This record gives sequence, structure tokens and C-alpha cells, in this order.
Amino acid sequence: MKVFKRAKLEKVLDKLSASYEVHVPMKRGAQSGFFDYRTYNADFDELVLDVLNVLKPPKEAVFPQTEKMYSFKQEGQDVIIDKVYENEDKRIVFGMRSCDLMAISCLDDVFLTRGYVDTFYKKRRDNTIFVANACYSPGRQCFCDSMGVNPVEPELADVVLREYNEGYVWEIKTEKGEEITALIADLLEEKDVNLPEPKGCTLKVDYEGVDKKLKGMFEHPMWERFSEPCQTCGICTYTCPTCHCFDIQVKAWGEEGYRFRCWDSCMYREYTQMAGGHNPRETAKERFRNRFLHKLEFFNERYGKPLCTGCGRCIFVCPSGVSIVKIIEEIKGA
Amino acid sequence: MKEITAKIQETAARLLTEGRVDIFIGWQKGEFGYNTKPFFAHSPEEADKLVFDEYSIHNLSNALLKFRDGHQKIGIVVKGCDSRGIVRLLEDNQFKRERLYIVGVCCPGMKDPLKKMYQDSGFAVQVNGDAELADKCRYCIQPNPVIYDELIGEKREPRLPEDRFKEVKELETKSYDERYQFFEQVLSTCIRCYACRQACVACNCRTCIFDETRPQWVGRETSISDNMMYHLVRAFHMAGRCVECGECERVCPVGIPLMLINRKLIKDVGEFFGPYEAGMEYKEGAKPPLSVYREDDPDDFI
Ligand code: SF4
Ligand code: SF4
Ligand code: SF4
Ligand code: SF4
Ligand code: SF4
Repeated sequence: MKVFKRAKLEKVLDKLSASYEVHVPMKRGAQSGFFDYRTYNADFDELVLDVLNVLKPPKEAVFPQTEKMYSFKQEGQDVIIDKVYENEDKRIVFGMRSCDLMAISCLDDVFLTRGYVDTFYKKRRDNTIFVANACYSPGRQCFCDSMGVNPVEPELADVVLREYNEGYVWEIKTEKGEEITALIADLLEEKDVNLPEPKGCTLKVDYEGVDKKLKGMFEHPMWERFSEPCQTCGICTYTCPTCHCFDIQVKAWGEEGYRFRCWDSCMYREYTQMAGGHNPRETAKERFRNRFLHKLEFFNERYGKPLCTGCGRCIFVCPSGVSIVKIIEEIKGA
Repeated sequence: MKEITAKIQETAARLLTEGRVDIFIGWQKGEFGYNTKPFFAHSPEEADKLVFDEYSIHNLSNALLKFRDGHQKIGIVVKGCDSRGIVRLLEDNQFKRERLYIVGVCCPGMKDPLKKMYQDSGFAVQVNGDAELADKCRYCIQPNPVIYDELIGEKREPRLPEDRFKEVKELETKSYDERYQFFEQVLSTCIRCYACRQACVACNCRTCIFDETRPQWVGRETSISDNMMYHLVRAFHMAGRCVECGECERVCPVGIPLMLINRKLIKDVGEFFGPYEAGMEYKEGAKPPLSVYREDDPDDFI
């Protein structure tokens, strides 16, 4: 096996950063997320590769919260698009967990399949390499193995890191993985190490058949009851690695401006606000129901997997104690 | 807490049975033991699920907004800070007093279930402050409900730190540039989820300025200019209205020090128009500072 010692981690990141934008899990002030290693400042930031995961999901590497699309100018009668901002920076997301990788696979389904390719997404995605970090000790709110995710065998990974007592195993999975391995070859050594026994998740839920069952549950009273505490704050969707709704907006001054897209959320009133004032999802109930039906029913119907990978984020960020696991159990029992 | 829970259950069951209220809002236990959450009891049987424990931190008065257009009579449990939220709603004409049956609890101070959940998740989320006592409770000026139909427990002393405005004063002594830098740094991390607004009982406008699209007053980019605009506008709208319940800062997923901004507002409103603390008593028809319009106002603009 190829391995590198823990003490060499920063060297590995330095080397990769010479040719790539490397997004690593960091604690930055009160925030935690994947940030560009080149912006790492030892005074404020802490590298947290060895803790379970970070709050802000790595989807930002391929689907940023705010993304400029194109700028335009008015010339006489015409509108000229003078620049399209497709991002082709070479990038590595380093230390992603299985749940977050499966989430990327969901985003791929949405942005790249079924007859429409989103070029903004595709450009980023084609230039992104994933170095996964296998999970041997899931956390209290992790339930990925109930949602078709294997915590120690991440999908889509180009390289898989496996933490052992002295450092990390570097397991190459794809050609892209080979490419970046060449950059750090002198930091790797050959060694046989003992890996820990995978623990599996303690939080379990039975998703089997939930998608089918939901077909007949649009009018079920549970939506009314379970949405009661929901404040429609949207934190659950902004921190979810799979949520991908966006809005396209414009900033313009005088004769010029630009269009950008920005994350949006089905938990917001404005999301379904129509011209003329009608809103089909006026209250928390309709919005809450939509969130769960999309995740557990509609997405599955279209792409054959749920739009929840069991990362657990929405469970511990919800100020009102709403839990998707509880909702799945409730659907099962209904 | 056991006695308080028993009293709340008893009151809720009685009110629901007698038809005095249609819904009774309190808390219930969560799956992890510490993640107590809001609960809406609809029948006397459901009253058994109600609890009051050291994690009953949520300001439930905000939940009343869901019912503002209805006719249901509502029973609700409030701590000191939450009761000030009720005053906020009454003063803002968002709710009729007759529709409410308020059960006040003299509050012993709460822990924050969100912090506990973070800690327990194994995620790299920084947990600021004291896990034993929620940040908002360290600054509590009114643990006893200011408006109620029924009171549970003995009145308690406020739990103020020596100087409630210490952090605000520290910031005030900094130069313009230093302050700008400080706000630029903390506000740049805002993800504009608007959870602070959703959790806030004072944010009770039917159509929020941030949701307006024609015209759009504040851009939706997560850029420093749009972020600052959001926080500036929200600060202006909170001046003289924030009841210091701390929910905004508590729910913020990225730890923005919103209470620092709110305390600056509280201090300024107190100094310029006060002494005044928002929501400390309900007098019908009373108009808090900054909520009155007069034609002969010496200032011709806002
Ligand atoms: S949900 Fe699974 S893959 Fe994600 S952090 Fe937890 S154990 Fe790891
Ligand atoms: S985080 Fe909780 S309260 Fe906020 S929108 Fe999601 S479910 Fe509702
Ligand atoms: S729905 Fe919740 S648990 Fe599922 S992937 Fe999204 S944040 Fe994670
Ligand atoms: S601004 Fe914050 S502290 Fe003030 S009333 Fe709103 S939620 Fe409570
Ligand atoms: S809750 Fe926090 S991150 Fe969300 S909009 Fe408010 S300040 Fe910004």
C-alpha cells in the first residue's frame, strides 16, 4: 500500500496546491467547510481532516453558492453578451466523505443527464478531482449506510485516503488519481498497515419502499403535524450536500450588467411566488412536504436513488429539531 | 423541572378539554434526549407529551405568526424572554390578546440543544461559549414572564454579566477602519440563509423587504456588499424592537455575532430615546420609540 505519515500532510497539500486549487476541510472562525488551501492561515484556520466532517458541504466546489454566468452590454438596439464565465480552474477536493461524494453523484444526475448538460457545472466538474477520506467511525447523526452509501468505499473517488494510526493510506482509483499521485510521489512510501475495523453507523433507518409508499401520501395529515415546528429557515437545504435548487438573477447598472445564479431553497416563500401574487406553497406545510417528497420520492422516481445520502447535517442544524430519519420512520409507520 | 412539566401538562390538558384553547404550544423531548423541540398539542391526550426541561430554549412566540390570520385560540408556554416576544407581537398588532392563554415560567436559564447536537455530531463545528448555560441566558435581563395568565415557579433574579454592553463598548472605541474591517470579516461568512430572520419574532412583516423582487432592494449574491446590505437593513428594522431573545444568533449556522449588533442597537435606543427596553410591559395603545409617525417630527426623513 502507498501511505504517507501524518506529519507530511501539509507537505502533500503544499505540493498539490502548486498545480491545483485544493479544497480542504477547515475550521475557519465559527465556520467549518472546504476552503482553498492557498487561503489557509494558521492563525485563524485549523485543518480538520481527522474529524468526521465539516458543516458546509463540498458541493460548492462544483456548484458555488453564487456563480457569475455572463455579463452583457447594451449597444444601440442590441444586447451583447461580452463574457461567459465558465470556470475551468483545476481543482482537487481533498478529504471528502462518502456521503458527500454520493451527493456529487446526485448533482451529476441533475446537471449532466437526461438530455440537458449544464455547461457551467460540467466545466467545473470535469476539472475537479476527488480525494475521498474513508469513514471508519461514523458520528451520532450519520446514517449513510441506510441510504445506499458505503462509508469506507466512496463512489466517484479518484483517490481514497484511509486513516491509520500513523497517517493515511493513499489508494489510487482512477487515472486522474494517478496524475496527482505523480505530484507527491516522493512523499509516499510503500508499507503494509493495519486498517481499523469499520464501525458502521449507529443511526439506522429503513428506506426500503418509502419512495413507492409516498406516492399515495401527498394529502397525509403527517405533513401538517410534522411541519408545525418548522420555521422555514432553509438551513437544512443550504447545508445539505445534495440540495441543488438555484435561482438566476441579474445585477445591472446603466447599460451593462451580469447574470449570476445563486442557491435557492424550496423552504422559502419567494421560491414559489408567482407573478400576480399566487403562491402554491404558501405555508410551511407545503414547503416542508415538498422538501421530503423531492428527497425521498420524486428524485428516486427519476434517477433511481434518494436525494439524501445520510450525512446527518440537516438533523443537527435544524433549530426546531426536525429529523429526516424521524420523517422516514413516520412514513414507514403511516 | 419535573414539577413545571407536570403543571404545564395539567394546564394544557385542562384548557384543551374545556375548549379554552384549540392548540397548546410547548416543548417535547427529542430523539437524542437533549434535542428538546417545539410541540403543538391539539388534544388533551397529547398534553402528556409536553415537557419543560433545561433545553426548552426556543422562543415559541415566533410560532404564533403561523396562526395570525386564523381564529384558533392558542395556549403557549413562555419564559421571560419569550414573553417579551409576545409583547412585541401585541404592540405590532400581529395578534389579539384574547386569542391567547399564556402560561409563564420563571426561567432558571437554558442550555442550547443546537450546541449539544453539534458537539455530539462529530463534525468540526466550533462550539463557542458555555455549553452549560446558553449565551443568550448569560445576558438575560428578564427571566420572569412580563405577561401571563398563569405563572409557574418563583420569581428569579436577572442573570446579567457585570457589564451587559462590554463587547459593544470595546467595539465603539475602535477606529472607523478597524470597525469596518471587523464587520467585513464577520459578515463575509454569512451564507444568507435568512434563518436569523425566520427565527425572529420581531421579523413579522408579511412581505419582507428581502423577498421583494419588484424592485429587488437587496441583491442575492453572497458578496460582502450584499451581505452588509442585508445586515444593515435588518439592524435598522430591529432598532427599538429587538427583545433580546437571542434566537437569531443561536440558529445562525455559521456563528455570526448577531447579538453584538442587537446590543449596540439596544444601547443606542436606550441612550437616545430611553431609558427603554423593548417588550418589557404591555400597555394597550403604548407606542415604543421609533414606531411613531408625527407630521411635526423635527427630522424630515426617517
Ligand atoms: S454519513 Fe457516512 S460517509 Fe458521511 S460522514 Fe457519516 S459515516 Fe462518513
Ligand atoms: S432547518 Fe428545520 S426549521 Fe429550518 S427549514 Fe429546515 S426543517 Fe424547517
Ligand atoms: S437531507 Fe439531510 S441527511 Fe440527507 S443528505 Fe441532506 S443534509 Fe444530509
Ligand atoms: S433580533 Fe434576534 S434577539 Fe432580537 S428579537 Fe429577533 S431573534 Fe430575538
Ligand atoms: S442565520 Fe447567519 S448565515 Fe443565515 S442569514 Fe442570518 S447571519 Fe447569515
